[in-house]
Amino acid sequence: MSDTRNDGDGLDRHVCERCGDAYPSARLLTLHRGARHPDDLTADEVEAYREAYYDEERELKSFRIRALGVLVLLYFGFLILFILFAS
Amino acid sequence: MNRTTTLRRFGVSLLFASLVSLLAAPVAASNGAVGLAGASQDNLAVPQWLYLATGGATVGASALLASFVTDRRFIEQVHSWRASVALDDVVRRGLGIVGSALGLALLGFIVYLGVTGPQTPTLNFAIIVTFAGLRAGYTMFTYLVGDTWRAVNPWRTVATVLPNGFVEYPHKLGRWPAVAGILALVWVETAAGVTRQPNLLAVAVAGYSVLTLLGALLVGPEDWFDCADPVSVFLRFYGRVAPIRWNDEDGLSVRLPGMRLVTDDEVTDLADVAVAVVLVWELTFSGFVTTEQGAAAITAVVEAGLPALVVYGVLYLGGFAAFLGLYVLAGHLTVRRIETFETPRALAVRFAPSLLAIAVGYHLAHYFGFFVSLSPMLAGALSSPLSPPANPVVLTLPAWFGALNVVFVLLGHLLAVWVAHSQAYDTFPSRMQAIRSQLPFVVVMIFYTIVSLWLVALPTASPPFL
Repeated sequence: MSDTRNDGDGLDRHVCERCGDAYPSARLLTLHRGARHPDDLTADEVEAYREAYYDEERELKSFRIRALGVLVLLYFGFLILFILFAS
Repeated sequence: MNRTTTLRRFGVSLLFASLVSLLAAPVAASNGAVGLAGASQDNLAVPQWLYLATGGATVGASALLASFVTDRRFIEQVHSWRASVALDDVVRRGLGIVGSALGLALLGFIVYLGVTGPQTPTLNFAIIVTFAGLRAGYTMFTYLVGDTWRAVNPWRTVATVLPNGFVEYPHKLGRWPAVAGILALVWVETAAGVTRQPNLLAVAVAGYSVLTLLGALLVGPEDWFDCADPVSVFLRFYGRVAPIRWNDEDGLSVRLPGMRLVTDDEVTDLADVAVAVVLVWELTFSGFVTTEQGAAAITAVVEAGLPALVVYGVLYLGGFAAFLGLYVLAGHLTVRRIETFETPRALAVRFAPSLLAIAVGYHLAHYFGFFVSLSPMLAGALSSPLSPPANPVVLTLPAWFGALNVVFVLLGHLLAVWVAHSQAYDTFPSRMQAIRSQLPFVVVMIFYTIVSLWLVALPTASPPFL
């Protein structure tokens, strides 16, 4: 369903047929079509979208853990700073 | 779904906890019970760097918390919630006429009483209504409730009944004329003494009226007030944050505050980004020059041999360029961080509406206390324009009002973080990209927060050499 062209910079253009938006990778186009035009997808494409979505879920999970780590660090960091410097 | 809710709850409580701890920081926090009041006289003193760092960290932490919300449907629900009330045609036209009449009467009184009224700023109708009324109160109404300027604008009322539209507005200029106009008006307000001399203010308003009418008649009121007139563009951009808007199709429509910024693509080019930056910058600038530290810095440079106006001019325009440059730089960094065909400029335009939420926070921080303390004076001036009171009443604000400023600055930034988050989900198909794309912009926002928290905590002074 994607129309692949080269824009000359070495990056492929994956263009959405429905709205004309271009993405540098097929995965991003799949995610775009799934999020923006869910009614246009065939059964295979729904499967591809689901796969790309869950793939990203793994990445998000690791990001969430890191973000939570930063939050905990911020919280206790500031707690200690306040104990030391606020009087 | 369940986990998202838990995360959301966790996020909200953490946010409140950090807000509360921050609130306790800059003011004297004496939270002992009443019975123990005598025992806990000591105030909590927080060093300034810690107060600023906490503010910056609050914005950063809330951006991280927002990034936990990855459910597209929930994000869309928040920014597309709306309710509309149909407005009767007669009521609408009636309100329009009342608004126009009010606008014309106010303009007439400001010019007339500015010249003939008492030349003491605290007694003069023109000064009170222009600064406590329009600059502070009406602007607040515009972003807290709804933008009514289109109906009130006296110059539009006059321009629409006269023959107009002799030349086409050069659309490639975009809103740059308005950017220049807003910069010029704030300059006049800071440097020309219009806040102290009523007759000067009357002359300035009359001059502005002539220029505006000439422009509006030349290119037609629609284009002029949409792109070139500084006051209209200023209020219109603030009005985008407001929950209420009326239009001809659905009457009154109500949205959550700030959510129009996500859905209405009204910021379309770099000039619009510049308008949003100018709203943030003018408040930062006037905040800086009216603090003791700012005044001392300017005095030091002027005493080194530079003319005062040059120092102010360089600071004013240079600071604006730096604020705008930082924002565009954030666009460049974002494009380098993620795979996308979006251009840096397009991303700066995308994320610019969140600046308006920041501007609203700053405006409240700078003008809310001022407006509340002068409100009896304003009410007196509006109820009897022709007979100024012998003893104008000014409310004395309790000390905790100072803490409100900190809250306003932070709330503005938190709203901006959420707007940027929603924008990112609207722009990028990948959720990871949406999270990564916001980072440079969040860093810029943290920088803005620290600067303005620093400014609202400094003691005020009157700007030197003006």
